[in-house]
Amino acid sequence: MPDNANFLRLEGLQVHFPIQGGLFDRVLGRPPRAVRAVDGIDLNIRRGEIVALVGESGSGKTTVGRAITKLAQPTSGRLLFEDEDMSSVRGSSALRPYRHRVQMIFQDAYQALNPRHTVFEIVAEPLRSLQLVEGGKQLADRVSEALAAAGLNPPGDFFSRFPHELSGGQRQRVVIAGALAVKPKLIVADEPVSMLDVSIRAQILQVLVDLRAKHNMALLFITHDLPLAWLIADRIAVLYLGKLVEIGSADEITFNPHHPYTVALRNATPQIRSDASRVGLPALQGEVPSAARVPKGCRFHPRCPVAFHRCKEEEPPAIEVAANHTAACWLAT
Amino acid sequence: MSEGTVRYPPRGRARAIKSFLRQFLGRGGAQAGVLCLVFFLVLAAVPNILVGPLQTAINATGDFLAPPSSQHLLGTDDVGRDVLNLVVHGARISLTIAVLATVISLVFGTTVGISAGYYGGRVDVWLMRLTDFFFVMPSFVLALVITPVILEVWGRGGDIFGFRPSLFVIIVVIGMTSWAFVARIVRSQTLSLKERTFVDRARVVGSSNIVIMVKHILPNLVPQITANGALVVAGAIYVETSLSFLGLGDPLQPSWGTLLALAQRAGAASAGAWWDLSPGVCVLTVSLSFVLIGNALDDTFNPRRRVIP
Repeated sequence: MPDNANFLRLEGLQVHFPIQGGLFDRVLGRPPRAVRAVDGIDLNIRRGEIVALVGESGSGKTTVGRAITKLAQPTSGRLLFEDEDMSSVRGSSALRPYRHRVQMIFQDAYQALNPRHTVFEIVAEPLRSLQLVEGGKQLADRVSEALAAAGLNPPGDFFSRFPHELSGGQRQRVVIAGALAVKPKLIVADEPVSMLDVSIRAQILQVLVDLRAKHNMALLFITHDLPLAWLIADRIAVLYLGKLVEIGSADEITFNPHHPYTVALRNATPQIRSDASRVGLPALQGEVPSAARVPKGCRFHPRCPVAFHRCKEEEPPAIEVAANHTAACWLAT
Repeated sequence: MSEGTVRYPPRGRARAIKSFLRQFLGRGGAQAGVLCLVFFLVLAAVPNILVGPLQTAINATGDFLAPPSSQHLLGTDDVGRDVLNLVVHGARISLTIAVLATVISLVFGTTVGISAGYYGGRVDVWLMRLTDFFFVMPSFVLALVITPVILEVWGRGGDIFGFRPSLFVIIVVIGMTSWAFVARIVRSQTLSLKERTFVDRARVVGSSNIVIMVKHILPNLVPQITANGALVVAGAIYVETSLSFLGLGDPLQPSWGTLLALAQRAGAASAGAWWDLSPGVCVLTVSLSFVLIGNALDDTFNPRRRVIP
């Protein structure tokens, strides 16, 4: 595949949400503060690649997804799609070509479906608003095709149903069908299976993996579940407090992690059988600090079991530890 | 595609409507309100069949201020007109004015409320200041100021959309002074609806702001709009009666308020001609039934209020 490097690129992407300071702060002339949800991320997604974005709640992983799908406006940095800078493009008509190529799957399928729309209206909406079809016959064909691809068979049975008449798995399939209907090149999936029963998870994941096989669709899979990421992704990027701490191939990150945070995430994974390959580090204590008060130096140092004095002062750069595997840690070699 | 495009009947929607009607009509207030309203709507729909053409001082059939009798069930007024005839014809005028004013108020209030809530920021601030202005505007003063202007422009005769100019002014004035209430309720609902994930999804699939407001937010506002619409009608009937009572009505298209004004001028109350005041009872009944329906709708749509009996 040509121009692989130029599919989707994030360059120093930042999404800050300003905090409205009180009158007291303004009188004292304190600088306005911000929640630094995403604080400078460089990430490449290649054509047809599945990249998993892993992190705890509060790490900013959802905000990265929202920035890519243009639901959140980046405060600085660039979002390049096929060499085009999309970070400052706004308005539904200007974004139409981009929306045609980049779609999103939401975590809570029940919330993501308008309770007053039928399945047909929901799946037809992107086709209508992006003006991809002419006439009702073509529209019905595309909707049936998308529903079938998402595993809802026969599609005609679902046309006139409302979201509340569907099961959780069916709802998520409808959301997926809505994203598939426009045949995008990249789908951002924000925890698509975290709300589903374990038995249904595998089916939904299969639908997503099949898409890549059939249509060479790239997928940014946002999850908090490292084993799940390993199962589905080619590469894994680990996010902590708005910054990427480690990125590499799925096997490298899972079996040869270099950043203490990744190691801790791995150790936190429940396992049925005890695993000899566990790296001996104590479990993580405490919670992710508030993104409004990012610690100085390495942002992981307050919770890091192996932190030393340098970590408190200087923020570590991304250090290449192996081919295509970087970790942002002073101890990584 | 042979089986793929089979359309099934919208059973979900039909079932939802059925269950809504069962809940709504299960309330005593709603039953009474709907019953009264149907009665007055029939009066308003076919007054000529029920009581013959509108009587005027020229074709009046009865005595002056005669008490109820078998010939005139509600007696006659000071120029000998049958009060029943006047009341039935007045129903059409009063209800039409109230309903049209409510339509203006709902359309305008919903548009302003959705735009303010959805766009937020400066749009919200300015639209809400405009709303505040109309919120405090007294309808009587506004009507008294506008009526002479309209009459001057259009002239006293003729009609505007089938209404005598003064009635048209009343419709516009009630519409103008009651939309602010609707706008505030719609705005507050929009503020919470626009944060829902399905609005995010609509943006991701490329829907424009207008489409999101009309297709995603508006359908979810219907419960609030209908429930408050019924209350707006009740208010509109009261205001219409008061304005007509003050003499802003039109004698050629008499509403209940106009009839009350004429009765008062004829000294019906002090003369003991209670039958001449029956339009007042009609006003009371109709606005009460709208309030009952509005409250029942609100209770049905709003599950949080159901707890309190």
